[in-house]
Amino acid sequence: MEYHFPKLALGAAALALAMSLPTAVNAKDTVKIAFIGPLTGGSSAIGLGGRNSADLALKQRNANPQSKYTYELVALDDECKPNVGVQVATKAAADKSIIAGVTNYCSAVAISAVDVYHRFGLPVIVWGAVLPAITYGQKYKEVHRVNGTMINQNQVAAEFMAKQGYKKWAVIHDTTDYGKGHNQYFSESLKKHGGEILGTFGVMSDQQDFTAELTKIKELNPEVIFFGGLTPLGIRIRSQMDKLGITAQLQGTSGIKSDAYISGLGNELAEGSLAFLEGAPLEKLPHGKEFSDAYQKQGYAQPPDAYGPFAYAAMNLIMDSIEKAGPNRKKVMADLNQTHDADTVIGKVTFDDHGQNIVPLVSTYVAQDGKWVIWEDSEYATGKRKLKR
Amino acid sequence: MLHTLKPSRSLLWAAMVVAFAIAWGVLHAESEFEVGITLVAIVVVVLAARWLRVAPAVGASMNDHPRSLGWACILGVLLLTAAFYDDHFALLLLCTVLLYSVAGFGLNIQFGYCGILNFAGAAFFGIGSYTAAVLTTHTGTPHLLVLVVGGLVSALLGSMLILPVLRTRGHYAALVTIAFGILFKTFLEVNDTLGGPQGMRIPNMNILGWQLNEDIVIGDLDISFYANYAVLSLVLCVIAFILVRRLERSWIGVSMDMVRTDEIAASVFGVPIARMKIIAFTAGNFLVGVAGAVYGLLTSYVAPNNFTFSDSLILVSMVILGGIGNPWGILPAAAIILILPEKLQFIQEYRFLLYGILIIAILLFRPDGLLPRSIRNFFPGQSRT
Amino acid sequence: MSMEVFSQYLVNGLMLGMIYAMVAVGFTLFFGVMDVIQFAHGDVLMLGAFTALVTFLGLDAIGITNPWLQILIMLVVSMLLIAVVGALVAKYLILPLKDAPPLNTLLLTLMLGLVLRELVRLFYPDGSNSKPFPRLLPDHELHLGAFSIRADSAILLVAGLVTIVALHYVITRTKLGLAIRAVAQDGETARVMGINFHWIVLLTFGLGSAMAAIGGIMNGLYYSEINFGVGLLLGIIGFSAAILGGLTNVYGAILGGFLFAALQTVGSVMLPLIGSGVPSSYKDVFAFAVVIMLLAWKPSGLIAERSSERV
Repeated sequence: MEYHFPKLALGAAALALAMSLPTAVNAKDTVKIAFIGPLTGGSSAIGLGGRNSADLALKQRNANPQSKYTYELVALDDECKPNVGVQVATKAAADKSIIAGVTNYCSAVAISAVDVYHRFGLPVIVWGAVLPAITYGQKYKEVHRVNGTMINQNQVAAEFMAKQGYKKWAVIHDTTDYGKGHNQYFSESLKKHGGEILGTFGVMSDQQDFTAELTKIKELNPEVIFFGGLTPLGIRIRSQMDKLGITAQLQGTSGIKSDAYISGLGNELAEGSLAFLEGAPLEKLPHGKEFSDAYQKQGYAQPPDAYGPFAYAAMNLIMDSIEKAGPNRKKVMADLNQTHDADTVIGKVTFDDHGQNIVPLVSTYVAQDGKWVIWEDSEYATGKRKLKR
Repeated sequence: MLHTLKPSRSLLWAAMVVAFAIAWGVLHAESEFEVGITLVAIVVVVLAARWLRVAPAVGASMNDHPRSLGWACILGVLLLTAAFYDDHFALLLLCTVLLYSVAGFGLNIQFGYCGILNFAGAAFFGIGSYTAAVLTTHTGTPHLLVLVVGGLVSALLGSMLILPVLRTRGHYAALVTIAFGILFKTFLEVNDTLGGPQGMRIPNMNILGWQLNEDIVIGDLDISFYANYAVLSLVLCVIAFILVRRLERSWIGVSMDMVRTDEIAASVFGVPIARMKIIAFTAGNFLVGVAGAVYGLLTSYVAPNNFTFSDSLILVSMVILGGIGNPWGILPAAAIILILPEKLQFIQEYRFLLYGILIIAILLFRPDGLLPRSIRNFFPGQSRT
Repeated sequence: MSMEVFSQYLVNGLMLGMIYAMVAVGFTLFFGVMDVIQFAHGDVLMLGAFTALVTFLGLDAIGITNPWLQILIMLVVSMLLIAVVGALVAKYLILPLKDAPPLNTLLLTLMLGLVLRELVRLFYPDGSNSKPFPRLLPDHELHLGAFSIRADSAILLVAGLVTIVALHYVITRTKLGLAIRAVAQDGETARVMGINFHWIVLLTFGLGSAMAAIGGIMNGLYYSEINFGVGLLLGIIGFSAAILGGLTNVYGAILGGFLFAALQTVGSVMLPLIGSGVPSSYKDVFAFAVVIMLLAWKPSGLIAERSSERV
């Protein structure tokens, strides 16, 4: 074995050298912007959609001869796990050549990562996490958010469901801060509309088997099961509901509004599931069509999914700030804090004193024939199809 | 001429300078091009050493002058810290390598000396971190004491496993620690008092008033706060290393080796097997716990997902890769396992796969690891060249 | 607790027990023949489930749609392929380390499990997500008095039972089984008696792995999904079950499997009764804690291993 070693070593060296060819040098200065999201794991469809959208914004800006800098995307995968998220956040924030970040879909990750961003002074715009505490829990000047919070989502959801005539709920939520947040805000909103929660069940975010919880829920016999959590759990719960013969309606949050939910369950089982998402659907956004066309032209392997437009808007806001204030973290942060009525693909963006953008509209979606359809456009609204009881 | 190279102090220092240069290169390399060049440099050095037959002489020099080697290493790490004084990430990597090495020393006592398999290394690491989190958040315990308490709690919880570990052999013993590791992680995730899956934030560390989480500003120089931790980790690493070496050379160390080699023969000679195992297991967990406490303070965050079974397997891989029973091997092994995936982005995703294949290859072809443990030297000062 | 709820828990417990028993039997077979713990066994099960999924996708593509035919072909293909994988593992990884310290083999198989998990996660398209497993079994309810059970659960239970009985038959009534038992008792003497040690080891590993493949398919059909991580926990639980039953006894392994499932089910039912806020996920903590205590009490398993050590 000893005499093979030199050959192996030479081969390895050649390989290493071949793989590390220098990148092209540009005439303009290169500015790095980080993108953090779940690129693998159960929410990867949304994460990849966000990354592609941010990449689209970057490419468009680089193709524009008037931009002062060349932008480079540093995409990091947080796997939707808080500890990995903190690690990649540290990596991005500690790297002085990264000027800003478009960060986080998973709330559980974001709530822990904001401390890191603050510690290293990295200005970030959150593109998909909905937990209110991310912006409202502290006064870090580095943290901003373009999408709405779950407070709004759950208010609209409670109102909608009450209007549909439902009275009894069972709540299943995952035990991360995301699920707990949904539980808290939905319960509050529901009380105001007179709904009754028969039982609340916390489950682990990677739990496989829900027979214990669902068997108890079957005993309680609610009309609706509210699920505060993400797509992989949503798929399992819906499928096991069917297995146990539970006929209640499944009401989800923005966490299950993804194509992966429907493809994971199949059209039949997914049929009739409800979800809520802030912002208007892509077609109805002010610049939605242009975004959609440009996205198609780039030929990305995954669709932008629910939060793609938000990531796109966030990336553009950051690049606008860098063009104005230069590649300096403190200056970019100061400029972002001043954002007022900025025109983006999702509409006008203003950051309040906590860096939060107010998104007025929350859309209701229902899964119909294998697609998420806006409630108003669906056959459920017209009464042709009925939700479950 | 080179064939008759005699082992000497100067040869040792020369070798250490080369090692320092390589370490600096690895930590400094940013783009993949630079990383490639550094790797090529390493390969060239290793090949040259082999071809010029310098390696045995260098090895003998290291054996003969362990104290010089120790000082050279300490000096090297301090110089590295100074070289990267404002590079957050490089210092973070350095600290991580040092802390995981301390944990590796702990596992080495259990496994390399006494033959106890511990597949819950990451769990004990986590116990240290969580202890640090709870103590610093809720009590006013001085932070240096927190480190010690972290180790003690880790050792204490490990002693819950003592009875099954003592009574079982081989595979059954492995199962006990594996089950404990999973139990620990699941318990933390399910239980909300310690933060549940979200984990806990750990406040800043300060020792006697010196804030470790703030950058040190001296005039124009802005030294990264990680430098504080680098020095702390270095001190910890040195202490742990000295402890481990002393243990190995002591009567207890010899007894542990006997227990590992052949329990029945050892008991025939009157070696108190249970006591040796308890000492090894507890001392090992103590070291791992202290390392975990510092790591928690370093990252200001702890979550159950940091301490999965795969992480325990990584700790075990580190000990095997370095050479079972040889604490010197753990440092380069830790460096390889921790730094390489960070620097080579394209293997970052595949790193678990590569570790697994690497260890399988090692087990099949070179089970002694990188720096195999030399035969016990009963008469120090005389090396066999 | 109503009869319906009780029957639900019972069925769930039996299903889990069946799957654990499949894995545990594999461990016992391997240990018997080679004195080795194949920690990657659970991941081999996962591989079996994925192989079946790929077969299903292939069958769907070429137009075979009869679910029973699909299941049959999936079973055959998966069992054969995974048996081959098991034999290869034996030949290239386990046998070469026959004379090395048992620790090395243990570590090797642990790493092998890691490698298998990562291979699927990285190289199967979108591997890190759960994959829906086709629902091929009829899902209407069967009622026997107050006791109700879904048809697919019933079929799976029966299938598991049939598999175990078939294994029993192979081990006790065939020449192959005789050879396996001989090698398990004393390898050297078996060789002296003219048994081809090498081949029997390969066949045993193949047989155990084929059982794992069946377990994987059962797992997939029951949960209607598979993901790359199921193997780790199943492997550890299967190992615990095998140890509970004593590593040399196939029936002990089966017993251990059902025992562990019972522990989990009882835990998930009783724990919420203790405190209203105690989530059911504590059941794993409970089960593993019991395993550790049992090992402390009976270090060689409930049905003690009769072993002798060369001094």
